[in-house]
Amino acid sequence: MRAPALKPVLAVYTGLFLLFLYGPLLVLGILSFQSGPEGGPQFPILHWSTYWYRDIFGLNPPSRIAPLPIQDGLLRSLALAFLTTVVSTTLGVMSAQAFRQRFRGSGIVFYLIVLGMMVPGVLVGLGTALLANNLGIDRHWWSTAFVLHVVYTFPFAFLVMLAIFNRFDPAVEEASWSLGVTPARTFRKVTFPLIFPGVLSAMLFCFTLSYDEFARTLFASGPDLTLPLAIYGTFSVEIHPNIFAFGVLTTLFSLALLGVYAVLMSLSVRRARRVLVQEEA
Amino acid sequence: MTAIGDAQAAASATAPAGKRALTPYWLIAPGVVWMVFFLVLPILMMVYVSFWTQTTFRIEPILTTKSWQTFFASDTYIGALWTTIRIWLVVLAATFLIGYPTALFVGLFVRNKTVATALLVLCVIPFWTSFLIRVLAWRPMLGKEGAINDLLMGLHLTAQPIDALLFTELSVVIGMTQIYCVFMVGPIAFMLGRIDPNIIEAAQDLGASFWRIFRTIIFPLSLPGVVVGAIFVSVMVLGEFATAAALSGRKVNLLGNIIVTQVGSLKWAFAAVAGVVLTLIMGLVVAGLLRLVDLRREL
Repeated sequence: MRAPALKPVLAVYTGLFLLFLYGPLLVLGILSFQSGPEGGPQFPILHWSTYWYRDIFGLNPPSRIAPLPIQDGLLRSLALAFLTTVVSTTLGVMSAQAFRQRFRGSGIVFYLIVLGMMVPGVLVGLGTALLANNLGIDRHWWSTAFVLHVVYTFPFAFLVMLAIFNRFDPAVEEASWSLGVTPARTFRKVTFPLIFPGVLSAMLFCFTLSYDEFARTLFASGPDLTLPLAIYGTFSVEIHPNIFAFGVLTTLFSLALLGVYAVLMSLSVRRARRVLVQEEA
Repeated sequence: MTAIGDAQAAASATAPAGKRALTPYWLIAPGVVWMVFFLVLPILMMVYVSFWTQTTFRIEPILTTKSWQTFFASDTYIGALWTTIRIWLVVLAATFLIGYPTALFVGLFVRNKTVATALLVLCVIPFWTSFLIRVLAWRPMLGKEGAINDLLMGLHLTAQPIDALLFTELSVVIGMTQIYCVFMVGPIAFMLGRIDPNIIEAAQDLGASFWRIFRTIIFPLSLPGVVVGAIFVSVMVLGEFATAAALSGRKVNLLGNIIVTQVGSLKWAFAAVAGVVLTLIMGLVVAGLLRLVDLRREL
């Protein structure tokens, strides 16, 4: 594109845009080092301290500020995200595998699955709460909230796997079948190793989406709160910088998760390349 | 398409015939059953319950349109309906106007694919912070003693802190724009990246100005991306309630907030009516956007 005057202008604009995206998070990060317990969630910083980080781990002497009610919620959210990841990725791989052949009704089924990620959480959450109430089913994070987490994340896994299968060479499977290997064994030994990077991406999607899911959980989970619900609960009362410190820690945790994903991904890509080299040799 | 069809025909020919014809249905069945029971059924239930009779603390399955009448006779509910539509339109316009130049830069001006991908990844990284904490982060930014007021007063642009920044409709719009504009940037940048540079070069060689090229080539070709982005943003903004709850100090009530408060006071039938109204609006918006371009042909 030859528009010499425009390019630097747009570059500067994009820089400002990124500042807009990151600005609040930077401020949040800075304020998480506010002094405590007297420092509030605003500028100026009275003096720098790690008081609010110690507060999260319960290392401070008791003060008038209640600790964040997050411990149980964190465990529940991790368990829920793990369950959701397993079920959604399995469903996603199965459905995408089905879509490799054309079958009657595939158009409708495609929209039915994609609907799961498009319908807002308030609506499915409300519907599920109504349904559970009238069937006399108790709402829990591991039952009603769990099924909605799968409704939400399964379409993402499905779309990722669909994209992977689109670039998949069926010749290797055919070779396996023609050598008399059963379809089930072919899938385990040939197809699955080849699509594994895609499966990893699908799992990453499902885990992060479920871990942070809020609207559906609000209606569909019972008295036991997940992590986002516990954070939402702090909105209505006065906020303290401990929630900022917690935000910084969860971000670091998520980025660590992303790092694990990147390592696994590069390992599996490297292994695939090695197999390729062996074949060519 | 025919190539894929041939490949599939070949694949099914090599596999044991008859047995394989059934497998797609077995593979798809669990997913379909899950979606029917836990997605379609709840939505239908919501529509059904919106016609139930609401008493003080419970609902009874006696059909009536009373909840609907109450909804449309109430200033609170109608007000929430208009607020929802107004905020949706403003946020949609803001995400488009703020996002498009960035998408233009990433998709069209950065020809190095690695740099373009890196920029997009930079846009996505904030999503690894919890949604609620990202919303909450706007409070120390916009507040009376917040970063923006500090900055404005430090630069002597204003003598007094601006009160209107936090706990107003403006703060809700700012928060939503920041959270959702990436969903606009992504699809537009994707479509812009697919434009054949030869077309633009040809237009330049023929002496067209940048503005003319933009109007007649670049923008029309990016339109499918705009529509996809608009669908994402619309669906998410219309279903919002957390940002309004956190940044408006309960002053801005969207339909989503109405649903939350009604459920909180066990007015299930009213919540269901608000839910159905929201579903209808969303359906209209998405259908309208899809009529703008034929996505299946474009993507």
